[in-house]
Amino acid sequence: MRGKFALIAKIVFLGFTTAILALLTESAFAQKQYVIGGFILVAALALNIVYLTSISVPFKFFLPGILFFIAFVIAPIFFTVQMSGFKYQTGNYIDKATALEQVISLGAQPDAQGTTFDITVGRNSSNEFAILVSDIANNKYFVSTPTQRVDVPAASATFNEYGVAIKAPNFNAMSADALAANDAYSKIRYKYEGDYYIAIESQNAGGVFRQELTYSAKTGVLTNIFTGATYVDNHRGNFAKVGDPTVLLSPGWRAPIWFENYSRLVTDQKVRTPLIRVFLWTFFFALFSVLSTFALGLILAMSLNRPIRGRRIYRSILILPYAMPSVMSILIWAGMFDSDFGAVNSILHTNIHWLQNPSLARSIVLLVNLWLGFPYFYLICSGSLQAIPNELLEAAAIDGANPRQVFRKITLPLLLQILSPLLIASFAFNFNNFNLIYLLTGGGPTQTLNGEIAGATDILISYTYKIAFGTNFQDFGLASAISVIIFLIVASISMYGLRRSKVMESFG
Amino acid sequence: MNKWVRENLWRHSIAIATCLFSLFPLYLVILSSLKTSGSLQVGSFIPHEVSLDNFRFLFHSPKTPYVLWFKNSLVIASTVALSSVFIGAASAFAFSRLKFKGKKLGIRLLLLVQMFPAVLAISAVYVIMERVYTFAPNIGLGSQGGLILVYLGGSMGVNIWLLKGFVDSIPVELDEAAKIDGASPVQTYWLIFLPLATPVLAVVCLLSFIGTFNEFILARLFLVEMNGRTIAVGLQQFIGGQYASNWGPFAAGSILASIPIVIIFLSLQRFIVNGLTAGSVKG
Repeated sequence: MRGKFALIAKIVFLGFTTAILALLTESAFAQKQYVIGGFILVAALALNIVYLTSISVPFKFFLPGILFFIAFVIAPIFFTVQMSGFKYQTGNYIDKATALEQVISLGAQPDAQGTTFDITVGRNSSNEFAILVSDIANNKYFVSTPTQRVDVPAASATFNEYGVAIKAPNFNAMSADALAANDAYSKIRYKYEGDYYIAIESQNAGGVFRQELTYSAKTGVLTNIFTGATYVDNHRGNFAKVGDPTVLLSPGWRAPIWFENYSRLVTDQKVRTPLIRVFLWTFFFALFSVLSTFALGLILAMSLNRPIRGRRIYRSILILPYAMPSVMSILIWAGMFDSDFGAVNSILHTNIHWLQNPSLARSIVLLVNLWLGFPYFYLICSGSLQAIPNELLEAAAIDGANPRQVFRKITLPLLLQILSPLLIASFAFNFNNFNLIYLLTGGGPTQTLNGEIAGATDILISYTYKIAFGTNFQDFGLASAISVIIFLIVASISMYGLRRSKVMESFG
Repeated sequence: MNKWVRENLWRHSIAIATCLFSLFPLYLVILSSLKTSGSLQVGSFIPHEVSLDNFRFLFHSPKTPYVLWFKNSLVIASTVALSSVFIGAASAFAFSRLKFKGKKLGIRLLLLVQMFPAVLAISAVYVIMERVYTFAPNIGLGSQGGLILVYLGGSMGVNIWLLKGFVDSIPVELDEAAKIDGASPVQTYWLIFLPLATPVLAVVCLLSFIGTFNEFILARLFLVEMNGRTIAVGLQQFIGGQYASNWGPFAAGSILASIPIVIIFLSLQRFIVNGLTAGSVKG
C-alpha cells in the first residue's frame, strides 16, 4: 500500500517536473537560447532516466542538487574564468558581429551642411515604411522609401500649421502611438540623392547622411571611401587604422587576449600599485579579525566557564550581535558613525568625520567586525572548553602547574588543534567579507580626485566589485582575472589548513 | 567574601564590559527608533521623549511598503530554506552513507568551489538570468522566482557540506539494520533516515533561512520593483542617498525585522551551536 502510494507520488511529481522543463526547453529554443535550453533538456532527460530506471542509486540522491549546483555555481564560475582571458570592458562588451554592424552604422557621416528635414512617417501604397519629407526652404516635397524617391507636387499635399506636409497621395501617415509600438521604421535608410540618404532622427525629423565606411567580408578590411583610410582588426577587440594603430573605431568587441589581464596585474603600474595596497590591507583585516574575535570569544568563554550567577543572562546578551541579521547591524553601525546624523557624534558632541578619515575608517571596520564576530567564537570556545577532559587539567594542577601554565601549555594548544579548521574558515570568510565593507564604508574613503577607485578600507573583493561594476568604467576581464587570483589564494590557504588539521583524512 | 572576589569578580567584570559593548549599538538604535519623527539625533543615553511615530510611519507611508517587504523576505527565505534542505539532505545522505566512485573527488570539489568569491560570479549569474528572462520572465531577472532559484543553487554547496557533518553524527547502526532487513537505500532514506534526522534538518533549515534573510547583493540586483523588495534591500535603500534623514524609521524597521530572527536564534541556540561545531570538531 505504502509502496504503491510512493510510486504514484513519484510518477506524478516526475511527470509534472518533466512537463514544466519541456515547456521551458521549447520556449528557450524559440528565443534562440540554445545553451540554456540544451541544459534544461539534458536536465529533464537525466531526471527521467535516473528516477525511472535503476542505473545509479547514488544519482537518485544527487541529481537535483547537482543540477542546481552546475547551473548556478559551476556555470558562473566557468564563465568568469573564461572571461578573464578576454578584453571585456566598457567599449568592448558585445560580440564581434554586433560590433561590426554598429561600427558600420556609425560610419555614416552627415552631409557638409548637416541638412535636416521635417518628416512624417507612414506607409506607402505597397504598405512599406515610407517618409513624407518637407524641404520647406526649397518648397520641395517627396515620399521616400529605401529604394525609391517620389516627388510630391506641393498642390497635392496637405500641410499643418508649420508648413510641414502631413498628407500626400499614396502615403498614409502613422499615429505616434503606432510608431512607438514598432520602431522598425527608425532603422531604415530612406533614399535621398546619390550616396546620400535620410536617417530618422525623431518621429518628426530626419537628417541627410552618407555611408563612409564599407566593409569587405573577404579581406576583413573597413575602408573609408572618401579619405581612403583603411582599418583592420587589431586582434585586441577593435578595428585600428592601418599606419596609425592608436586610432580605434568604436565600439569594440570582447576579444581573447589570453593572459594579458593577468600580466597587467604585475606590469601595469596603475593596476599594480592599488592592488598591492588593497591586498596588504585585506590580509591584515582578515588576520586581525580572526585573532580579535577569537581572543575576545576565548576570554569570555574562559570567564563564563563556571556556573557563576547570571551566566544565562550574560550568554543571551553576548550572542545578540550574532543573532541579529548582520545586514541590519552593519547598517546600524554605519548610521551611528554618520558624521551628520550619527548618534556617536551627537552623544560625544563632536563633529568627527569618522568614515572620511582613512585610519579612523579602518579602525571602525575592525571594531564593527569584532562586534559581529566575537559571539561566534564565544559559542564555539565554550563548547570546546567543555570537551577538554577535566582530568587533564586536574592532573596538571596536581603536578603544580599554576592556572596560567595550565592555560598556555594545555588548554590553548588543545583548543587551537580543535578549532584550527574554524579559524581558517573564518579567515577565508573575512578575506571575502564583502557585505561588511560594502554596507559600512563602501570601501571609502577614496581619493577620487586622483582618479583612484580603491578606497582605504577596500578589500580585494570589494575593490574587484568596483572594477567590474564601477560607475564610469567597467573592466570585467580584469575583475575576472583578480577573482581567479583571489580564489587561488583562499583555496590554497584553506587547503593547507585543512590538510594540517587532517580533516581531509576523514574523507577516505 | 575575599575568595568570591578573587575568583569571580574578574569574570563578572569581563562579562559586563562585553555585554555593554554588544548592547551599545542596539541600545542606540532603540533610542533612535523612539524619537519623534522630526528630531534625528540621539542627544543622550537617556530618552527624554518616547514616541511611536517612526513605527507608525513604516506602516502608513506609501513610500515604504514595509509589510510587503517583510512578507517578501519571509516567503523567499522560507521557500529557499525548505527546498534547499529537502534537496541538500538527499545529497548529504549519499555523500555520507553510500559508497560510489568519485565520492572523495566530489566532496573536495564541493569544498573547493565554495572558495570562489561568489560576489564576482554575480555578473555571470546576471547574464544567465537575463537570458532566461527572454523566454521565461517568471523565473528570469527581476522576478522573485528567479532570485529563489539562484539562492537555491548558491546555497547547495554550503548546505550539503553542513548537512554531511550532521549526517555523519547520526549512528549508522540503524540504517545498517534496515539494510540487513532488505531495505533499499531509497527506502532507508525515506523511512529510517529522514524521521531520525528531522531535528537536525530543522536546524540547517533555520540557518539557511537566516542566511537568505540576510542576503543583500543579489536581492538588490534582482528586485528592482519597490513592492517586490526584500526587507534588507528596502531598508538599505531607505537610508542611502537622499533618504539619509530617514534614520528614525530605519531604526524602527530594522528592530522589527530583527526581532523574529533574534527570538528564533535565542530559543534554539543550543541546537545551533551544536550545528556550528558538528562540521568541524568532529572533522
